[in-house]
Amino acid sequence: MEHEELDDFERELKLALERRPAPPSLKRRVMERRAQGRRPHSVVWMRLAATLLIVALLGGVLRWGYQQREERRQGEEARRQVMTALRITGHALNQVSTRLAAHGRAGE
Amino acid sequence: MAHDWQPDLERILDEHQSMVFSLALRMTGDRGLAEEIAQDVFLELDEHIGRMKSPEHARFWLRQVTMSRSTDALRRRKVRGMDLWVELEDGHAIRAEDRVSPVGIRLEHLLTTLPEAQRAALILRYQEDMLPDEIAAALDAPVATVKSHLQRGLKLLRAKATSNLREFIRGA
Repeated sequence: MEHEELDDFERELKLALERRPAPPSLKRRVMERRAQGRRPHSVVWMRLAATLLIVALLGGVLRWGYQQREERRQGEEARRQVMTALRITGHALNQVSTRLAAHGRAGE
Repeated sequence: MAHDWQPDLERILDEHQSMVFSLALRMTGDRGLAEEIAQDVFLELDEHIGRMKSPEHARFWLRQVTMSRSTDALRRRKVRGMDLWVELEDGHAIRAEDRVSPVGIRLEHLLTTLPEAQRAALILRYQEDMLPDEIAAALDAPVATVKSHLQRGLKLLRAKATSNLREFIRGA
């Protein structure tokens, strides 16, 4: 193929596929984007610092939420224990009261 | 000469922006997308500019990466279900200052209807005047496959042109 002469059709195709001029803005945009990509390291550091700050804030909020839930859970547990202790105490007092009443009746 | 060559993005841009843009335009059929691809390709070149050994190496690299990025862009658009050739079909991809003949516009449009691999081979062959082994290297494909794409693509294009451009084409 490489040594063959081009026929009319191939010549027409070659003409149709001549290179088009690039838009005049192409070079400027490439150079601008290149300059942006090479911005001072301070921009990179600022972005990194902002990211770290957001991560720290999120971490703080999550930790605060966890602590709140944990305190509520511990409060509920303490309340349950107090209620159990009161029930046991009430039950014991009832028994003492019943025995005292029985004693009283036996002494009369 | 290659030893004296110092790669410089601005100079490479001046020399090859038309080539890169035209390859991307003919692969995608979309001026905006072609310009985006061209920008990305040159910025990618800038990242690897230290590895460019000679002007020929830079030109080969630009052709190879432009074809690859254009194919990627076409696939991304296919996934999104977008119509790839709206602009060329409407003639919007060609601007008045491009000064393309009516036959050229029709042929360019017919080229867009070919399968992607055949289109890529024909663009490199007739726009860039590359030989099958050079095309094979640029597309990372076997030479026999490229020759087959060229023959089939040309045959298909000729058949389409014969029925569509009878009034224009002589000896088709």
